[in-house]
Amino acid sequence: MNQFFLLQGVSKELHPFAHIIEFAIKRNSTVQLNSFNETSSNSIRIYYVLEGKFEWVINDNHHILYPGDLVLIQPGHKFGGQKGVLDIGKLCWIYIEVNKHEPDERIMFGRWSSLPKNEILAIGKILRLCNTPVLSRVKEAGNILNEIQHELLNQQIGYFTRTNQLIDELFILIARKLTLQNDTHRDFPQSFMHLENALRQNLSHNWTVEEMAAMVGLGTTTFTEKVKSYSGFSPLNYLITIRISEAIKLLKQNDLSVTDIALDTGFYSSQHFSTTFKKLTGYTPSEFRKKNISNDQDQ
Amino acid sequence: MTKISNNRKDCVITIELGTNAVRVFAFDLNGNIIGSAKGAYPTFHPEPDYSEQDPEQLFITMLYVLKNFLNETVYAQKYKVITICFSAAMHSVLPIDKNGVPLGNVITWADNRGKNEATALKNSSSGKTIYKSTGTPIHPMSPLVKIAWMKNQDKDRFKKTYKFLSIKSYIIQQLTGNYIIDYSLASATGLFNIHKLKWDADALAYAGITAAKLPELVSVFHPAGKLRKEYQTSLGLSADTKIITGSSDGCMATLGAGVWGEGKATVTIEDSGAMRVVGKEILKDEKQRFFNYVLTEDYYVSGGPTNNGGVIFEWFAKQFGVFKYAYGIENCMEELINDASKVAAGADGLLFLPYLLGERAPIWNANARGVYFGLNINHEQKHFARATIEGILYEMYSIGKTLEEHRSIKSLSVNGSFGTIPFCSQLIADIFNKPVAISKNTSSVAQGSFLLSATGMGIYKNLDDAAKTVEFAETFTPNKHNNEVYKKYAGVFENLSTKFNAEFEAIANLQQKNK
Repeated sequence: MNQFFLLQGVSKELHPFAHIIEFAIKRNSTVQLNSFNETSSNSIRIYYVLEGKFEWVINDNHHILYPGDLVLIQPGHKFGGQKGVLDIGKLCWIYIEVNKHEPDERIMFGRWSSLPKNEILAIGKILRLCNTPVLSRVKEAGNILNEIQHELLNQQIGYFTRTNQLIDELFILIARKLTLQNDTHRDFPQSFMHLENALRQNLSHNWTVEEMAAMVGLGTTTFTEKVKSYSGFSPLNYLITIRISEAIKLLKQNDLSVTDIALDTGFYSSQHFSTTFKKLTGYTPSEFRKKNISNDQDQ
Repeated sequence: MTKISNNRKDCVITIELGTNAVRVFAFDLNGNIIGSAKGAYPTFHPEPDYSEQDPEQLFITMLYVLKNFLNETVYAQKYKVITICFSAAMHSVLPIDKNGVPLGNVITWADNRGKNEATALKNSSSGKTIYKSTGTPIHPMSPLVKIAWMKNQDKDRFKKTYKFLSIKSYIIQQLTGNYIIDYSLASATGLFNIHKLKWDADALAYAGITAAKLPELVSVFHPAGKLRKEYQTSLGLSADTKIITGSSDGCMATLGAGVWGEGKATVTIEDSGAMRVVGKEILKDEKQRFFNYVLTEDYYVSGGPTNNGGVIFEWFAKQFGVFKYAYGIENCMEELINDASKVAAGADGLLFLPYLLGERAPIWNANARGVYFGLNINHEQKHFARATIEGILYEMYSIGKTLEEHRSIKSLSVNGSFGTIPFCSQLIADIFNKPVAISKNTSSVAQGSFLLSATGMGIYKNLDDAAKTVEFAETFTPNKHNNEVYKKYAGVFENLSTKFNAEFEAIANLQQKNK
């Protein structure tokens, strides 16, 4: 791969691809001060090491990178070279603009992506929740980047579609590698615990089975079977046990309204909350609160 | 579902609040299983030594599983519930405020935060007195030690606490409004005098509490009270459904394995394990190696627990097994057992100390660690597989040997998911040189709870008669030749287990510092 540098707004090759902010291959043969200071941006930045050894600080953590390593910088995360210096070697990078939705910081791709919405959400979730920004030995990523370069520079018939497909492929590859890396696919209880923590951290999110399955790195059918045999519940029913138990704690604290509790714990309305709660416990949320705040009749 | 017609058949429900899941069983009055269901809940480790569970999640999981099970299995088959009997994992502590609201999570048996308190107490003279009166080894697992930890380290919560409950007491309080604990589960708190059947004054003084801070003591047969109306309605249970307080999972597993009387012992190996005997006397052990729990006023369940059961073989499988499918650990373990069966007894001289999680009985050394010993150039992976399984079972045998200093044991009843793997059951028979029987009902806890309920209902005259009804599906006879081999290895195992005390401590300290 030869060196090149494409920049959105400057390079005409990127004109049809508003979501590609930068795409480049750079060979660095001298070490210069302040050549690689810490920055952050709103796009997802993907780096792939072709040659050499790099020492970077990503979101305040130190990483050493070797050829074949892929680095994923989340939107808003800081990153730069150790001491602001870019080490000697060869790198390829691509910056892709994504939309981040408040309040749960959901990552969405633009209309360029041909992936269905639920898969994008699942991939976005995996990217966001990954606890390591570095994937080792991902030669496939190098191949995809190479192909993207080929499409952009040669502009054969269909290159517009093909380039976007390749970016989709790159994200799928990264998401799969991240799930494989997180848990070795050996310890279901451990993976399930990761999932449990993710669910609890973001209980108000409208979780789908697809998203949950993706976090564990399984297809929805296998995932549902595994969860059922491990926990006794379907994934969504398991989620309900967490929602209701969190809701009970909030009801007993008596400082949030029932409606707020319903929304905080992921029910779409206080009506939905009340019905589910009553069906399970026999009490409406307000009755339950009353019983537990002054349950003198039981003493 | 509230309408109950007269032609319904009676049934008993048992609810086991286990370490990882709640298990609900229904039995007809002849002891046949109508069906079962389970619901899992997680354990949280907010700090390295901490093991906690969410009490509300346990409650809701129990309620959800029970409700679905009643509708889909019990009522669908036209049964009427006349009795519900509870059992629970031992040693849990849940502080609540005066409204009954939990002050934080349940602290489970596996929690080690009180290790400093435990060491100090164990070596003191009052520790020895308290062990003699309460029967619970002085160990971080003990609620006595946990409450003392809270008194010293979590003063605010300690002060706010209206009562210290067990998880079972909390669930029963939610359902009925009564704060109670049975003698049996109480006898695993380290706070209960097993001779006088009341809270122990010395233990209370050490923990810095009065008896008023604990639930009311009742017998295992005691009706826990009436279900609150709302739960009667939502569960479709009638107001006269009898709720029995029940016992602990350990005592129920022993009764459910049919081990009641002289000459018998149970070996339970799930993730962790225990070996237990039942008798009218406690085991008096100067070295404080055994627990002595009360079941009823006249029976004690005594024995020793191990941390390192099936969980160690699972660890081995995860590290060294071949995974054909994502999360296919069952398949992987089968392959490893298959490998292990190709190696002769004694793994050709490879010996394994399974103390990856530190150990309780009989060495009671939290710093103990795993060791593969005797490696030579001819050993292959299959030898490791066999040595790992044998090591877990030698550890159980070393508990058995200390128990035999006090009781004669002629036969074993084996249960638990690891112990009942046929390969392991045969090895237990060979290593112990005793016949091994496997219960027909694989859930001994549920079986025990049923027998307890049925005895309470007058179906059996007493627990002795109830225990005699336990049926066995399979028996394993010891292989004389293998036993000769194992005898020699077990001797080496025992010596190794206590030989490295200084090195175990040194390496445990190094591991602590690396964290």
